[in-house]
Amino acid sequence: MFLTRSEYDRGVNTFSPEGRLFQVEYAIEAIKLGSTAIGICTPEGVVLGVEKRITSPLMITSKIEKIFEVDKHIGCAVSGLIADSRTMVERARAESQNHWFTYNEQMSVESVAQAVSNLAIQFSGDYDSKEPAMSRPFGVAIMFAGIDNNGPQLFHLDPSGTYVQYNAKAIGSGSEGAQQTLQEKYHKSMGLNEAINVILNILKQVMEDKLSPTNIEIVTVTPDKLYHMLDKDELQEVFDKLVPFPEETKASTSAAVSGTVA
Amino acid sequence: MDTIIDRGAPKARNFEPYASNGGSIVAISGKDFAIVASDTRLSEGYMIYTRKQSKLFQLSDKSVLGCTGCWCDTLSLTNIIQSQLKSYLYDHNTVMQPNSIAQLLSTLLYSRRFFPYYVYNVLAGLDNNGEGCLYSYDPVGHCEKVNYTAGGSSGVLMQPFLDSWLGNRTTDNPVTEEEALSLVKDAFTAAGERDIYTGDEVVYNIIKKDGIQTGVVQLRKD
Amino acid sequence: MSIMDYNGGALIGMKGKDCVAIATDKRFGIQAQTVSLDFTKVFQINPHTYMGFPGLATDIFTVYEKIMFRKRLYELKENRKISPKALASLVSNLLYENRFSPFFVEPMIVALDEVTLEPYMCDMDLIGCVNKSDNFVVGGTSSSQLYGLCEALWEPDMEEDQLFETISQALVSACNRDAISGWGAKVYIIKKDKVIVRDIKTRMD
Repeated sequence: MFLTRSEYDRGVNTFSPEGRLFQVEYAIEAIKLGSTAIGICTPEGVVLGVEKRITSPLMITSKIEKIFEVDKHIGCAVSGLIADSRTMVERARAESQNHWFTYNEQMSVESVAQAVSNLAIQFSGDYDSKEPAMSRPFGVAIMFAGIDNNGPQLFHLDPSGTYVQYNAKAIGSGSEGAQQTLQEKYHKSMGLNEAINVILNILKQVMEDKLSPTNIEIVTVTPDKLYHMLDKDELQEVFDKLVPFPEETKASTSAAVSGTVA
Repeated sequence: MDTIIDRGAPKARNFEPYASNGGSIVAISGKDFAIVASDTRLSEGYMIYTRKQSKLFQLSDKSVLGCTGCWCDTLSLTNIIQSQLKSYLYDHNTVMQPNSIAQLLSTLLYSRRFFPYYVYNVLAGLDNNGEGCLYSYDPVGHCEKVNYTAGGSSGVLMQPFLDSWLGNRTTDNPVTEEEALSLVKDAFTAAGERDIYTGDEVVYNIIKKDGIQTGVVQLRKD
Repeated sequence: MSIMDYNGGALIGMKGKDCVAIATDKRFGIQAQTVSLDFTKVFQINPHTYMGFPGLATDIFTVYEKIMFRKRLYELKENRKISPKALASLVSNLLYENRFSPFFVEPMIVALDEVTLEPYMCDMDLIGCVNKSDNFVVGGTSSSQLYGLCEALWEPDMEEDQLFETISQALVSACNRDAISGWGAKVYIIKKDKVIVRDIKTRMD
C-alpha cells in the first residue's frame, strides 16, 4: 500500500503535495508493531498493563521493562522502539524533577505529556543547538498515567507529538482488538481491581503467548501508594484471582479476533 | 607649534553596578489574611528621588511581593517574575500558588549567586488552605517561611519591635487583622523617626480570600 | 568590624515622670566568643547620677577612672556634688582632649540633678559631642534595634512601674536580635528617694 509513495516519504521536513508527512505516518504504523499496552483510568487510580514478548526461553524476563516510573506520582507505558522510548522517558523524568525544583510542587500529568511532545517534533535542530537535529520521528507510543491536582489522569502520546487524554486506551499490536473490548467494558465507576481484571482479560485475548505472571507488567498509580509496580507475588495474586469475562462477550470477541486472523 | 596637553596619568573608572535606594517592608500573616506594607520613599545618599513609589508588586489575586534594595534590580526581578508567572499560566493552565512562587523566586535569586540581585524580598499570600503565608528572602535566595517579618533599610529597627509583640504567640491567640494593621503603622512611624531612607507614606495590601484591600498612611516627610 | 563592636553590649536610658532609668546587658565577649556573664557597663557617679559606657571594654574602665578622678577633684574644689550638666561637660572635655587618639567609648549620663532632682539625660560620641535628650538615649552594638523599639514603645510621663516595663522590654527585644549583646541584664530605676536595681533574665543563646 505504501509502495507508490516514493518522492515525499524520505525527508521529515517535507510535506507531500497532499499535505502529508509520510515519515510521521510510517512511525505511527511502526508503533502498531509494538507489544500491547493497556491503560485504564478509574476514580480510584490509574492502571497500566503491558505484555512482555519472550522471544527466547533463555531471556531473563524480569529485565524486560515496558513501564517506567517518571516521578513518584507518574508512570508511563511504552510500545514500539524501546530504544527511542529511553530518550523520551529521560526527558519526562528531567522535566518532572525540574518542575519540582523550580516550583516546589508535583508536575501535572498533562504538563509532562506536553513537555515530552515538544521533543517528538524537534527535527530542525536549531531549536536547541547543543544537540544534533533528529533524523527521524520517534517510533514509540507512550501512555502517561498519574495522579495530580485534577485526580487520576491518563494521557496518550503518539510519534506525531499529538497527546490526548483517555479514560481507557490500548497501544501496540493488539490495540485494535483491545480498544474494542475496552469500549465495551469501561464504565465511569470502575474500581481499581476491576480495571486490573479487565486488563488481564484483554491481554489474555490479544497476546500470542499464554498469559502468565512472568510475561506481563502491571503498574497502579493511586492517591495513597502513588506509582506502584506489582511485584512477583502481587502479580501471582491478581493472576490467581482473574475472573474471565462472561461467555457471550468472550464469544463475540474471540470471533472478532479469529476474523482478523482470517 | 604643537601644543601638548598634559592630561596626567590614565585613571581607572570603576563600574559600580549597585545602588542602595532604601525603603522598608513589613509583613504579617494571620489565620485568614496576610498584610504586607512598604514605605513610598525612593532615595540614594542624601537625595530623595520620589516620595510616591510603592515597593509592593501584586503577582496574582492571592499574592503580593514586597521588594526593596537596588531599585533597578527590583524592577528587573519583578518583571522577570511577572513574565514567568504568565508562562506558567499558559503552560499549565493554572495560576501559580504562593508556595510555588516562593520556590521560583528562590531559584531565580540563587541563579545569580555570584552577581546577585541586590534586593530584599518578602512574599505574602494566601496558601492552598486559604491561610495567610509569608516568605522572607535574602538577596541570594535563602527562603524562610515566617509569621511576620520586617526588611529593608529599617528592618533592624522594626524586627525586634514585631518580635516583642508577636514573638511568642500561640495558635489560640492569633493576631487579628486590626491588630496587624496597627502594628504595621506603629512600626513604620517608629522607623520613620530614625531612618532617613524610610518615610513619606506607607502603602499596605491586605490579602484576603475575597480580594486585596489597599490603603495609605502618612509618615514623616523630612 | 569596628573596634566599637569588639566586645559587644547594649545600653539604654529612659526618662519617666520624676524618674529616670538606665539599663545594661551583662555580656562581655571578644568578638563572637562570650567570656563573662557579669559585665555590667553602668556605674554610679553620685547618689542620683549614673553613667553607662558602651564601647571597648578596656577603655570603659580607663575612662570611668579618669572621670572619677576629675569629678572628685571638682567636688573637693567646689565642695558640692557635681550636677549632671557639669558632668556632661567634664566628660565631653576629657574625650575631646584625645580628639586624635580617642577612647572607644560613647558614654551616656542618666541622672536626677542632685539639688533640683530635675531629670537629665544625654549621650555623646567617642570624641565628646554631647546629645541631650528628653525621651531616651541608646548605645552599643544593638543601638539600631533599640532606636526602633524606643521610638515605638516610649511615651511621655511614664510612672516608675511602666518605665521599668518599657525599658526592660526594649532591652530584651533588642538583645534578642543582636548576637553579641544580652546574656542577662540589669535595670536601674532612679527616683528622688531611692534607686531600685533589678536583674532581668534574657535568652542565653
